[in-house]
Amino acid sequence: MNGLAAIGAGIAVFTGVGAGIGMGLATGKAAEAIGRQPEASGKINMILMLGLALTESTAIYGLIVALMIIFTK
Amino acid sequence: MKERLTVLRMVVIGVTLLAGVFLLYLHARSRPGKGEEITKAIKSKRRNLLLLGVLSLWLCSGFVMGIFSHETEGLTVQMTSPRMNFLGFDISSSVVISWMAMIVVIVPVVLIRLFVIPKFSDSPSKIQYILETAVSTISDYTREKSDIRSNALNAYILTLALYLVGCAFTELFSFRPPTSDIVATFSLSLVTFIMINYYGLKRKGVGGRLSSFAKPIPVVFPFRVLSDIAAPISLACRLFGNMLGGMIVMHLIYQVLGAFGVGIPAVLGLYFNVFHPLIQVFIFITLSLTFIGEAVESN
Repeated sequence: MNGLAAIGAGIAVFTGVGAGIGMGLATGKAAEAIGRQPEASGKINMILMLGLALTESTAIYGLIVALMIIFTK
Repeated sequence: MKERLTVLRMVVIGVTLLAGVFLLYLHARSRPGKGEEITKAIKSKRRNLLLLGVLSLWLCSGFVMGIFSHETEGLTVQMTSPRMNFLGFDISSSVVISWMAMIVVIVPVVLIRLFVIPKFSDSPSKIQYILETAVSTISDYTREKSDIRSNALNAYILTLALYLVGCAFTELFSFRPPTSDIVATFSLSLVTFIMINYYGLKRKGVGGRLSSFAKPIPVVFPFRVLSDIAAPISLACRLFGNMLGGMIVMHLIYQVLGAFGVGIPAVLGLYFNVFHPLIQVFIFITLSLTFIGEAVESN
């Protein structure tokens, strides 16, 4: 049972892959945008932060599920 | 504890302490005089002396702490805060810690209200300038994000930010942050949910709010309602997961370093306990305002 729980937690944390790809894409696009329009960097940074937080939340959900699998009896 | 006070350990402590003090003494002595020229070689030599001195003092402190530390086996994380006895009541410890954070936030605010605000004048003092900047920043931000001019909303957002920052910084004093308890984050996001519906109903009325769910086509009505209900859940889980994740990372760092956990956790804690919570607080208020703005927008 314990081993299966560990495998399940590992699978749950795989949400981080998608979040990582998404955050990389978002940051790349933001860098491009700042390169094109440096004067708008403040607004772009704000939107980037918000987008990163929303993207990150998928990874966080996976983390919560994994922690629940491991630490709740 | 007896078997840890071995001769070898005492020798190591003495050697590292002496080496550290000696290296720092050399560092202090090699300070160039006023007339002397500062070359690159002297600079790098002084830097190396300082680094080595601090390193050996750090090693010494680790060995000294090793006498008193006890090994912990494995990492255990409680998903909920431990219960504690407070004046005869059995309550969650996160409640008590958030009361402490509230006291730290509220007492200066009350003092400012009683003693500083009556003295406001046209030529602002330092505190007045800071307060006016904070209030105008928050109200501009609120109006920009949610398109609502309301002192109540401004006050709510500023209070939320202060409370969340206060809660997050309790971790610096080795308490478990109240925001790593899902009950705390969920109650905050429920308040936001109430605000979303209050402003939505106030601006549009019951019929207008219901019909705004059925746009652009009526088929999406249940999904729009579901996504509105999911908003507070996602807010709560995001804050909770981030705070718990930061806490676990710091626990892991302390466990890996063991008795040598002097200095290094302070640097890492600057990111995991200060910068990261601040970003999360910003995200929380921004998303609250965005949801409220979504509820009141006229389409």
